Amino acid sequence: MLYKGKEGQWAFFLHRFSGLAILFYLLLHVFSISALAISDDFYSKIHELYGLAGFKIGLVFVAAGVMYHALNGLRIICMDLFGWGVRFQRELWYGTLFISGLASLLTLVLTIQRILAGE
Amino acid sequence: MIRAKRYEDARAQAKSNPELAWWVFMRVSGLVLVFLVLGHIYMTLIQQADSASGAPQTIIDKLSQPVWKLYDWLILILAGLHGLNGARYSLEDYIPDKAKRFWAKILLYTVAGAIFIWGTVGLFTLQPHVVQAQALATP
Repeated sequence: MLYKGKEGQWAFFLHRFSGLAILFYLLLHVFSISALAISDDFYSKIHELYGLAGFKIGLVFVAAGVMYHALNGLRIICMDLFGWGVRFQRELWYGTLFISGLASLLTLVLTIQRILAGE
Repeated sequence: MIRAKRYEDARAQAKSNPELAWWVFMRVSGLVLVFLVLGHIYMTLIQQADSASGAPQTIIDKLSQPVWKLYDWLILILAGLHGLNGARYSLEDYIPDKAKRFWAKILLYTVAGAIFIWGTVGLFTLQPHVVQAQALATP
């Protein structure tokens, strides 16, 4: 599908994409945490893989997706409930992008520091 | 999927009562999940490195406490239903063929349902214990 729309359409596309990505992560996360119920060894084997730098950076993307999905979800609720939510939906979306971008950047810096420190 | 922006429009557009109920559920569960999930991410990813928060002993100690069992199970159920319903909207939008859409939904519900049951059983059968490998490493 080709998106040539204005802000609202990008907001919709990003909301859907982040939502599907979060569902995929939720399934993976629940599967691997529950491995503890089978055995500690099983859990640790999976966790060794997650300790790789690539997976740690991956978590930054998960956090970024959750932050965007949460804030944009609040924007949708504001549009449902209040007149000003619809009037200022574009401003609210730029606010959403700014806050989730900033939070993701801070999470990325924190993660890189930890990787370099060998944590 | 209902594309309306207000409850009144959604009620006018809804093809059925369940569809309207899902529309409301997405808003209510979404609002609750904002706090539950961002809190979860703050406590696990931000407050400490995941080598510490993801260590088996940390998780066993945490999930042995009823309040965290309930907290995490609420996320599992609410996020699970919210995510599955969102995925259903996507399948209905992108798979026009009726038969293919039906089987895609069956596959989605089966895989997700199995993992949610696996997670619920794992959460409530987890016994508090000391992880052997760690116990050996610490004198």
